[in-house]
Amino acid sequence: MTTLSQQDVTELLLEWQQGDKCALDKLTPLVYDELRRIAHRYVQHERDGHTLQTTALVNEAYVRLVGGQGIEWQNRAHFFAVTAQVMRHILIDHARRRRYAKHGGEAQRVSFDDASVMSPERAAELVALDEALDELARLDARKGRVVELRYFGGLSLEETADVLDVSVMTVRRDWRAAKAWLYRALGGDQR
Amino acid sequence: MTPERWQEVEEVLQSALDRAPQERDSFLDQACAGDEELKSEAAALIRAHDDAGDFIEQPAIAQDARVMFGELPDINIGRTVGHYRIIERLGAGGMGEVYLAQDARLNRLVALKILPAHFISDDARLRRFQREARAASALNHPNILTIHEVGEAEEIHFIATEFIDGQTIRELIARHHLSLEETLEIAAQVAFALNAAHAAGIVHRDIKPENIMRRADGIVKILDFGIAKLIEPSTQEFSNEAPTIIKAQTETGLVIGTVGYMSPEQARALPVDERTDIWSLGVVLYEMVAGRAPFAGATRMDTLVSILEHEPPPLSQSTQDASPQLEELQRIVNKALRKERSERYQTAAAMLADLKSIRRELDFAETPLASSSSIATPVIGPATRPPQTRYLFPLLIAAALLLSLLAGTFLYRRSLTRSSAQGANATASKPYSQMSEAEQLAFINEQEQRISAMMGDRPVKLNDEALRAIKRDVDSYVARTGSTSNEPGKEDLRLIYARAIPYAPLIAGSFAARKVPVIIGLYLPMIESEYKACFENRVGAKGLFQFLPQTARQYGVAHEEMCDVEKMTPAAAHYIADRMAELGDDSESMTLVLLSYNRGPEWVRSSLRQLRDADNYERNFWTLFANRDKLDETFQQENAFYVPKFFAAAIIGENPHAFGLQIAPLSSLTHTTTPAQP
Repeated sequence: MTTLSQQDVTELLLEWQQGDKCALDKLTPLVYDELRRIAHRYVQHERDGHTLQTTALVNEAYVRLVGGQGIEWQNRAHFFAVTAQVMRHILIDHARRRRYAKHGGEAQRVSFDDASVMSPERAAELVALDEALDELARLDARKGRVVELRYFGGLSLEETADVLDVSVMTVRRDWRAAKAWLYRALGGDQR
Repeated sequence: MTPERWQEVEEVLQSALDRAPQERDSFLDQACAGDEELKSEAAALIRAHDDAGDFIEQPAIAQDARVMFGELPDINIGRTVGHYRIIERLGAGGMGEVYLAQDARLNRLVALKILPAHFISDDARLRRFQREARAASALNHPNILTIHEVGEAEEIHFIATEFIDGQTIRELIARHHLSLEETLEIAAQVAFALNAAHAAGIVHRDIKPENIMRRADGIVKILDFGIAKLIEPSTQEFSNEAPTIIKAQTETGLVIGTVGYMSPEQARALPVDERTDIWSLGVVLYEMVAGRAPFAGATRMDTLVSILEHEPPPLSQSTQDASPQLEELQRIVNKALRKERSERYQTAAAMLADLKSIRRELDFAETPLASSSSIATPVIGPATRPPQTRYLFPLLIAAALLLSLLAGTFLYRRSLTRSSAQGANATASKPYSQMSEAEQLAFINEQEQRISAMMGDRPVKLNDEALRAIKRDVDSYVARTGSTSNEPGKEDLRLIYARAIPYAPLIAGSFAARKVPVIIGLYLPMIESEYKACFENRVGAKGLFQFLPQTARQYGVAHEEMCDVEKMTPAAAHYIADRMAELGDDSESMTLVLLSYNRGPEWVRSSLRQLRDADNYERNFWTLFANRDKLDETFQQENAFYVPKFFAAAIIGENPHAFGLQIAPLSSLTHTTTPAQP
């Protein structure tokens, strides 16, 4: 893998911010790798490892990839946004593959002892959520981002407000409306 | 909907949510005057808002961290809690994380439930929970999960229970069609257990398909007696905006738990008694027959209303079963589901008696089968017949064989003599475990060549790394000699090979008919399912050959037939023959065909393409293995070890004596048509 300097990462973030889609493709593997490394370490050292603190994780990844000195706020906010997108990509990709896996493919290799497997039910849920979220974003882009940042990025209301540069109250209202909309779009608790 | 319209809807929605619940209706009337569509849209969203509970509140990472970041080492694996050593994570539920653990004092496997942190933070609730759990642990009944210990060590609160290898009724309903007999059998065992618990003054309070398991041997167990409801968060914690919502625990996060199994008295928050369990068993019974729950509404409130007000649609509407017993079953369901407690069955024993009487009628209707099957019947409860009589024969043979193996006697004497003559030159005179490492590698090398020849492959000299890959798997099989685990992948070596014996002739016939080397058919099930005819992995691959349901369907095997080895075996041979055809020239190496069974032919081809420029390029698996650093990560991590594992399984199965197995080589059993019954 090519190694990019912190300078490169900052530039990619800027490019992405200015609408360059390729920048995200380049950032994704970097961010993912970093998150993965940090997540491993967290889980090894923390006693209560299954409550992974996303914010701490993302912050650390940010410092490592972009640098800890003189962090520009805009950059950091964008990094959070990238991370949420990256996590959404990884998870939905995984869910889709899991859902459509055929005998000779992905699913087959799963043996008795593989715990890192997504259940077909969860995969179907995630794919449905992803599609509904796209539809919501079409109606109301900011609500789409609020959900992405909170659900996939693991950000709190306050952090989400910071990233989107709106008030916490606005995020709170966006969140409750978006949640109701998605819950209904996914069929509520119909069995 | 357009973005503009959504803006209007949202405006109404937000204003309504800002108001107190009781003012919302009149607000909607006023705000949407003349626009019925707007009103119904907003009203639906308000309902969704009230019902959504903790939907998407937990970030995905909390639930899917393992999937997102690969195999995160579980902090709990390997650690000890009290005298329990945690072996693996079984799952998570309302009860917190559940682990498989080894009880170091009694040397047995247990399920260890670690209570979630939020739960133990409430002292009063924790104490109440412990008191109830201890009371429940006094229950001693074959159909009730045994609680071994309710304890605490290093501030970890846990419950150690019997470990059950089986499926929940939820899984059974979702994946199989339960026959009337199976349904009755399950319901009767549950009623039997409820009767005992009620006699001891303990009410379960949360009977539902998730809390009932059926083991492979047909024994049904009720989980979490008397404690399931206690673990749920109290209503106040979640009800700041919608006081009427009842919060239920869920397994999956997005789909929020159901209130569908609650009795009317629970829905009204009245005190419960044993008749509450009878109601819930009625709901489960209904669902097992109909395939869907009797009380379901679009929202939680609708479901509750349905429980309190409505009669469920008759069973005959949702099942094709037209047997006369259905009508009687309907009567039992009706009586269990009377809204008024005093009109229900007053005791589980009364319900059990009625269930048994239908059972007897069914048995009477099919007498010829009933008597022959009683051997494999669970010892408790009413007379049972195993769900699939057709496997009874091989199962019985396997059981008998195993018994004789353990007793050290030799069955199949004829086969044994023949095979030892056949394999005399190849088979080592020394047991594998007594060989030096160099001898072991030489032995594996020699045997690999022999298996390759049986597969019809060109002889290839394996490098040291490849030999060690096979040896690693041989050694890990050998390490299972004497294992007492009954968990998939950990059972005693002797057990899994004994299981293979009755299937060998069928496999040989099916594979030979498709011109696929029989040796492939014999050892694929060993690495796929360890010859468990109904094994199902976590992603739904099932049966001896671990097909996914959709693949099975393509090859003419319906979902409910996937445990049927007589259907699956020819389908597997057919499937492999098709993969061979797809691979064309590459199928000349059966190692590549094996790989494509695991990975799909496109991947095999693309991997080969990537190596085309390599030196000594030879189209077989071992070339891929030797050059795996040039291939993708999935290959390196998983696929690279699939074929070596196959060879390991075959080397053991073809040299049983070297591994302390008192059976004949599997390939020698294939000529006998059907083994004679001992």
